[in-house]
Amino acid sequence: MRALRDIPISQKLLVIIMLVTIASLLLSGLVVVAWDSVLFRRSLQRDISTLAHIVADNSTAALAFDDRETATQTLASLRARPHLAAACIYGSDGAVFAEYLRVGAGAGCPPGAPADELRFTSTSLIVRRPIVLDGRRIGTLVLLYDLDEVYSRIRQYGQIVLLVLLGSSIFAFLLSSKLRAIIAEPISHLAEATRMVSATRDYSIRAQQLSQDELGRLAEGFNKMLARIQAQDTELRKALLAQEAALRETRKIRDSLKTTLASIGDAVISTDADGRVVFVNHVAQSLLGRPEPDVVGRHLDEVFPIVNEFSRAGVESPVTKVLREGRIVGLANHTILIARDGKEIPIDDSGAPIRDEKGDIQGTVLVFRDVTPRRRAEETGRLLASIVASSADAIFSKDMNGIVTSWNKGAEQTFGFSAQEMIGRPIAAIVPPELLDEIPRMLERIRRGERIEHYETVRRTKAGEALNVSVTISPLQDPLGRITGASTISRDITERVRAADRLARLNADLERSNQTLMLTNQDLERFAFIASHDLQEPLRMITAYSQLLIKSYSGRFDSEASMFVGFIVDGTKRMRELLSDLLEYTAIRAHDEEPPQLVDLNLVMEHVRQNLKAAIDESHAVVTNDRLPVLRAPGGHFQPLFQNLVGNAIKYRSERPPRIHVSAQKVGDELRFAVSDNGMGIEPEYHSQIFGLFKRLHGKKIPGTGVGLAICQRIVERYGGRIWVESQLGQGATFLFTLPDIAVDFVTGESK
Amino acid sequence: MSEATLEGRVRILLVEDNPADVHLLRRALAHAGLDCELTVIDDGADALAMVRQGGQFSPVLDLAILDLNLPKHSGMEVLEEMRSSQTFAKLPVIILSSSSSPPDRARSEEFGVRRYIVKPPDLEEYLRIGWDVKELLVECRTQG
Repeated sequence: MRALRDIPISQKLLVIIMLVTIASLLLSGLVVVAWDSVLFRRSLQRDISTLAHIVADNSTAALAFDDRETATQTLASLRARPHLAAACIYGSDGAVFAEYLRVGAGAGCPPGAPADELRFTSTSLIVRRPIVLDGRRIGTLVLLYDLDEVYSRIRQYGQIVLLVLLGSSIFAFLLSSKLRAIIAEPISHLAEATRMVSATRDYSIRAQQLSQDELGRLAEGFNKMLARIQAQDTELRKALLAQEAALRETRKIRDSLKTTLASIGDAVISTDADGRVVFVNHVAQSLLGRPEPDVVGRHLDEVFPIVNEFSRAGVESPVTKVLREGRIVGLANHTILIARDGKEIPIDDSGAPIRDEKGDIQGTVLVFRDVTPRRRAEETGRLLASIVASSADAIFSKDMNGIVTSWNKGAEQTFGFSAQEMIGRPIAAIVPPELLDEIPRMLERIRRGERIEHYETVRRTKAGEALNVSVTISPLQDPLGRITGASTISRDITERVRAADRLARLNADLERSNQTLMLTNQDLERFAFIASHDLQEPLRMITAYSQLLIKSYSGRFDSEASMFVGFIVDGTKRMRELLSDLLEYTAIRAHDEEPPQLVDLNLVMEHVRQNLKAAIDESHAVVTNDRLPVLRAPGGHFQPLFQNLVGNAIKYRSERPPRIHVSAQKVGDELRFAVSDNGMGIEPEYHSQIFGLFKRLHGKKIPGTGVGLAICQRIVERYGGRIWVESQLGQGATFLFTLPDIAVDFVTGESK
Repeated sequence: MSEATLEGRVRILLVEDNPADVHLLRRALAHAGLDCELTVIDDGADALAMVRQGGQFSPVLDLAILDLNLPKHSGMEVLEEMRSSQTFAKLPVIILSSSSSPPDRARSEEFGVRRYIVKPPDLEEYLRIGWDVKELLVECRTQG
């Protein structure tokens, strides 16, 4: 039964129907069979008893006359009853007198007649009948009747019952599978609907009403309940949403009020009905000079001392006044708040009662503000007014229609119109006719809130004279931020414009001549380069062939001819040097397109020492240098620069062995280098000319082309530096030059 | 400097417009003891024509010495033409020029020039060119 409980209703119904059908059929079958077998036995008993009676009566004579044959024949007539297994006649002595045995019957007559008149054994019915003659018992007839018939009849019945049972079951099953749907389907439908609702919480689902019976009413009731739940759910949701929205709104209002109070520019203090502070915002805290914990909970009078600005007498606290009068009160003018640190702040305030819904005063709110800025603004306003009044610049204002609304002294002086003449008149009066379209354009920009600054244009005086002016126009706003007009500052720049014109002309002239000069210079340089380059070719010939002449023909020259050829050789050699120096000089150009590279000047000095080794060894010179910077610069002209200066120092030495030192230091944003020697020195009057091309101070005794220092100067200037010399005759010389700070690694002060 | 001797005469083409330089170079070659047959062309256009004709009027050459600054066509053009001609593509070339400009050097290197010599102003240095030429010829012979 337990197993039945959890199976679906449809199966449950099936099981019930089948069980009931089978049980009832079985029961009725059994009753019928039982009853039938009882009836059958009863009729069999009667039948056999009757038969026994007849046979006994028929056998009486045979027995009486001891005629066994007749008795046996009588018994043999019992063949007609196929189920009769045996018939026996016992004599009065109890021995078998005659017997009949059915062919194939198992047992014969029992040895003695049975005691009972009628007895059922498991296999047979035994009937005993006394054979009586004249009231005297002369023998006994016993019939053995096989009960096979009974059993086979019961079997047949059983089979029929089983067949009926089977047929009925199948029929019941078939019938029930249709019928049970009538009950099971609405129920499972309802169950499915319930499951869906509980799973999805979708209360709009409805169960299908399949019938009008109890199940139909159940579905209907279920649907009605769902409808109610749905309605309630919707209602609940709506209410929840509304509540949430309301809560949000309230929170928003509360936050915004809180923020407003906290960030309001005015100081706000609220008190309870006793005048004790319950809230103080930041502005109020800073004006009082007290932090919140120092204010909240105390009586307002303790933390809000106010006096009259002039009389210094205490002023009644607005809170007291509000609590007394129960209405909004303003503070008298010239009230001063004395902050905790003693600072006096002019304030402007008002107090108002806070009432509950019954109208009882719950507290007060006090709003006050520092009026110092306003006072300052008033002062500034007065100051500005006086500045405007006394300004030499023309300052005026106009409305958005271009009608003048103010006109200062400066404007009167600049334009010749008095304030009386201009105010209320169109500004066009001071604009030359050809520039009149400027006014709407400017007003349009002002309307957009733009400011026009230092706009240079032309205006006209009352006398009709044109003035160059620089105007600055700003929009004027009313307190609501609407642009109502424009203020103009107009400066007479006629003089400046004239001067600028002159300057521009001069500049252009200068530019032109500079351009010409630059071109000329470039031409000259190009010429010098080409000349020196091309001159080398014929010179090479002269050199080579004069050498060849000496080599091949020297034996045939007289002394004068040898001398002449010698002069040719010297001359060409010198010319070669000159040309090569000149080439070097012209090759130094501004190589701005060259990428900068790192140049370690310490390495450069090493190379210089190597290149000049012969001269250094010969003169026993000592060449030292400080630790020099590493530069980042285009082109590699540093070596000729240092080599020329050091070479010169060796060349123009005194009798002493040369001591030459190269140093570097940072001066301002420049690097300053110095090459100092103990040589012969230079008289100050020649200091400037020694840097000129081909300029020499010495004759042939000291060889040179006069190009070295010019090269140095050109290199230094090419990097944007200067070169000069500090020296006295006989006291050595120091050549100094500067370079812009292009060092990437430089520590001054170390000596090498 | 290699002291190896050169068997037989060497044939050198000299493209040079300056007779003074031609003379100096002859001296230099003689100075180095070179037994050579020097063919001189003194004009860029003639040199180009010769190269284009495949040198059929000249004997097989061992070496060409080119000046760069020539009338009508430069030595660089002659060199370029040589490199694109079958006959002269592999001919060893020396540039002997008064130009020391880096672009000229770079371009010569591109064309596989064996030596780039700037004409020296000094006689002794000039004569040394003969030895350079000899050295190069030996180098070429041994390389086969």
